[in-house]
Amino acid sequence: MSEETAAVINDGPALVVRSTEELIEKLALMREAQRRFATYTQEQVDKIFFEAALAANKARVPLAEMAVEETGMGCMEDKVIKNHYASEYIYNAYKDTRTCGVVEEDKTFGIRKVAEPIGVIAAVIPTTNPTSTAIFKCLIALKTRNAIMISPHPRAKGCTAAAARIVLEAAVAAGAPEGIIGWIEELSLEATNTLMAESDIILATGGPGMVKAAYSSGTPALGVGAGNTPVIIDSTADVRMAVNSIIHSKTFDNGMICASEQSVTVLDDVYEEAKAEFARRGCHFLEGEELDRVRKTIIINGKLNARIVGQTAHDIAALAGVDVPPSTKVLIGEVESVDISEEFAHEKLSPVLAMYHAASFDEAIAKAERLVADGGYGHTSSLYINGGESEKIQRHYEAMKTCRILINTPSSQGGIGDLYNFKLPPSLTLGCGSWGGNSVSENVGVKHLINIKTVAERRENMLWFRTPEKVYFKKGCMPVALDELGAVMGKRRAFIVTDSFLYKSGFTKAIESKLDEMGIAHACFYDVAPDPTLQCAEQGVAQIRSFEPDTIIAVGGGSAMDAAKIMWLMYEHPEAAFEDMAMDFMDIRKRVYSYPPMGAKCYFVAIPTSSGTGSEVTPFAIITDAESGIKWPLADYQLLPNMAIVDTDNMMSQPKGLTSASGVDVLTHALEAYVSVMASDYTDGLALRAGELVFKYLARAYDDPDDFEARDHMASASCLAGMAFANAFLGVNHSMAHKLGAFHHIPHGWANAVILTRVMRYNAAERPTKMGTFPQYQYPHAKARYVEFGRACGFTGASDDEVFESFVAGIEELKAHVGVKPTIKDFGVDEQHFLDTLDEMSKQAFNDQCTGANPRYPLVSEIRELYLDAYYDRPASSYED
Amino acid sequence: MSIIMKLPKDKKVIVERANKVVYDCGDSVIKVFNSTKPAADILNEALNLARAEQAGIDVPELVEVGKTGGNWAIRTKKVEGKTLRQLINEDPSVDRMTEFVELELSIHAHTNPLMNRQKDKYTRMINGLTEVISEATRYELLMRLDGMPNHSKVCHGDFVPSNIIVREDGSMCVCDWAHATQGNGAADCATTYLHLKLGGEDEIAERYLSTYVERQGCSMAYVQGWMSIVAAAELARGRVIERDFLLSMIDVVDYY
Repeated sequence: MSEETAAVINDGPALVVRSTEELIEKLALMREAQRRFATYTQEQVDKIFFEAALAANKARVPLAEMAVEETGMGCMEDKVIKNHYASEYIYNAYKDTRTCGVVEEDKTFGIRKVAEPIGVIAAVIPTTNPTSTAIFKCLIALKTRNAIMISPHPRAKGCTAAAARIVLEAAVAAGAPEGIIGWIEELSLEATNTLMAESDIILATGGPGMVKAAYSSGTPALGVGAGNTPVIIDSTADVRMAVNSIIHSKTFDNGMICASEQSVTVLDDVYEEAKAEFARRGCHFLEGEELDRVRKTIIINGKLNARIVGQTAHDIAALAGVDVPPSTKVLIGEVESVDISEEFAHEKLSPVLAMYHAASFDEAIAKAERLVADGGYGHTSSLYINGGESEKIQRHYEAMKTCRILINTPSSQGGIGDLYNFKLPPSLTLGCGSWGGNSVSENVGVKHLINIKTVAERRENMLWFRTPEKVYFKKGCMPVALDELGAVMGKRRAFIVTDSFLYKSGFTKAIESKLDEMGIAHACFYDVAPDPTLQCAEQGVAQIRSFEPDTIIAVGGGSAMDAAKIMWLMYEHPEAAFEDMAMDFMDIRKRVYSYPPMGAKCYFVAIPTSSGTGSEVTPFAIITDAESGIKWPLADYQLLPNMAIVDTDNMMSQPKGLTSASGVDVLTHALEAYVSVMASDYTDGLALRAGELVFKYLARAYDDPDDFEARDHMASASCLAGMAFANAFLGVNHSMAHKLGAFHHIPHGWANAVILTRVMRYNAAERPTKMGTFPQYQYPHAKARYVEFGRACGFTGASDDEVFESFVAGIEELKAHVGVKPTIKDFGVDEQHFLDTLDEMSKQAFNDQCTGANPRYPLVSEIRELYLDAYYDRPASSYED
Repeated sequence: MSIIMKLPKDKKVIVERANKVVYDCGDSVIKVFNSTKPAADILNEALNLARAEQAGIDVPELVEVGKTGGNWAIRTKKVEGKTLRQLINEDPSVDRMTEFVELELSIHAHTNPLMNRQKDKYTRMINGLTEVISEATRYELLMRLDGMPNHSKVCHGDFVPSNIIVREDGSMCVCDWAHATQGNGAADCATTYLHLKLGGEDEIAERYLSTYVERQGCSMAYVQGWMSIVAAAELARGRVIERDFLLSMIDVVDYY
């Protein structure tokens, strides 16, 4: 048998350390034991926890006797309560707490929380509560499958070890591994510091030096420190209850609980009453010279005299040369200063109490604040008051920088929890937060001794499909649809927003006469220009404000509808800031800014006159500040029109250029919505059908403006694609087109079209540099999606690659047919100007709101290359990484 | 360094202590230690002096370290002037406290990374007190010391008026660097306070402490945190008469 094994056997199941060298060896043995313990089930652990708590509970009286005898401090009978509390209350609080394996599970969200032990706990245990703290720390260590090595205070090492041994032996008898609890018998600073450095977590209870040592050891620490609990007795308090609670708490274990009252500040109007009650119950008010004698005895050079700690009032008085009856409960010094130059203002860890006058509640709070700042940051404060005084209670808790604020409660018994309140966790280690230099601000419990592993399964987030409540379509539907405004909804005042061309061409006439017919008053703003400005919207909204409509009718292309949406927003919410609303989002549900609800003032009707933007069914609007030149892209479902009226009669007069530009815009909307990371079954059908219609009818509508059938289908295609991208959003094609428009004034639809097939090749790469981030988007598959789309549009081939190439060629053919110029250069963009703006344009395109839904996450440099390719008509590259 | 240091015949005794005699030798001052004083202590004191000078502090210039009649001795250049102690005694009505504290703070403003470390020194001294104070108290003192902020200011370690020579022009030179370390200035302040208290100058001690705290901009409690530690160090220097007083300063708690 080796010497080491012999020592273990002599020490029973405990690991007892007698030197720093031995500490290292025993910690290794302890780690072994803990590794075994870590495999125990909840049932095994709960049995051990039960038996250990029971054993500690049974030994509460001899342990209390030992503690008093060894330390010469405190009151045996009160220490019995502490031991009882540490075993019974801690067991009761945590008996059903799950601390092993899966402790929480949410199957819907695929989240599991798994509790794991931390390992070896270094426990520093003070002299004031040696046995109860040892019981407490050992029990919570056992409950969490940790091992615990105790560094007791040399003044209390015998009783601390005795308490730990009782817990350990019961635990081992119940199946715990031997060596799961140990302690240092020959204490040295070196050993304590080594323990702190070598352990996995430190449960330190001690003075500032100890707590600092714990935190500087490099090991995570739960440290606590000194308190200087100030108590206030308000004028509204039940003075008798207050005074007797304070005496009860202050005398408990001769005032050694760190949450114990150190000073009482009494409002003037109840001061005498309180004083009389203190005196009647056996407290001694120090008078004349007595006060100074006690002052000089309790504090030496600003530090608490060790000889008074945990002594009786009588013994402390005797030490100071003051004669009081042996039954004296508390020595009270009526003092004025709350500065620490006043000895009574310190933490005294004995039945010595400072008493202050306060003329007002605010003065009492100010005193308490100062006392806390001087010696008890983060610990505990207390207030006696009528429970109905909620305003005063709030003022008090707001002012106190303490982690426990006790109302009408003896603070010794109140701070440790579960005795005079029942939701403060029972604990003998009270966190003091950052104010006290601690990592926790709560009462320390089992949750601080486990690592929680969160097992998170991949989940796809909820998606949605949102569209205007009413979408009316078919040739000649407009008057029928408008009828609803009067007959069904009873609208009285309508405000029309359109552009001057449409107004002058008499487009609004039909609407106006219908409104007249229904007796709906109306007014019209017809100054919307292409790329509508904020200034234009402001003019419009001024008219709207004076007209006070209950309906806004937007008539026109994207510009008129966007401008009308902005006017609607400004009318409903004049306070809303564009800068905030235009803030880009990663996920529209999680955006920082919440749009105000729309519709309180006006119903919004959108009537498109071109087949392109789909703005009548989208939640988007773009507005430009003419003064700063900034474009504000707004996107929120609050901007979704309430009613869309797609009447082909309104589409018949589109000029060729508009038919072309808006037609290829529709194709881009449909394609981008289809390959978007947010594409869903709900948007796919709409996008595919829109694409199919474009291939069938765009050329016809372009060639023959009066081809009603073609116009009708293009109107549908535009609206269908609008609904698709209103929900699946767009991609980098639009991001890049937005900047071509902004920097080089290429009409939007053509700006999309001129880069479309290049962006398709770029997105179709099977090995992109980076793919889009969205749980639904599992792997790069844009190519397959393009191929599906191509097939739906009638393109064929022997392989996917062939279909893709055939589709790309078909798009190029269509573009050429409707007059889209082949390169950016061909749009008259000056080469030098293009190159000068290229970097900024690339960066802005990268940062465009549309980029987020693109299946390939673009690098700025890649966008730049795409622009260059499309400017110089460079041959298509593979765009693989 | 000469092997044998010769003392002139007309030397005058400046001060005589239990372990040393200091002589005025005309243009120099020689400190002769008694024979039981270990060589290491003398060399350490001389080295401290040299390092204080190296740090840029106004100190008497070291001339030689050697032996005279079997005793170790240190010779420094004589600094003309009176000690601050003499000046205070001659005219107690002049308030020199601010000057005194400012001088101490000006020393703390210097650093010398080669000087002994204050915490090492205190740790050694506390560990040596096995006969006088209990294991529990030593443990607490060491724990408290360990938790004190680490600084690297030059600390004289025995900054009292008798160790300051005031020249005719008012400039001041600090002698006796036997206890110098690098560390926390508040510990130096606590030591001076304790020396003044032990010298029976209670009122001066309190005024000194409050002036120091005010000039340094620290709290009284910050300095008081060192009291028990410096009291233990004093005890370790073998103070016997004041033992009970020092023990009462040591037997304090921050928290149990």
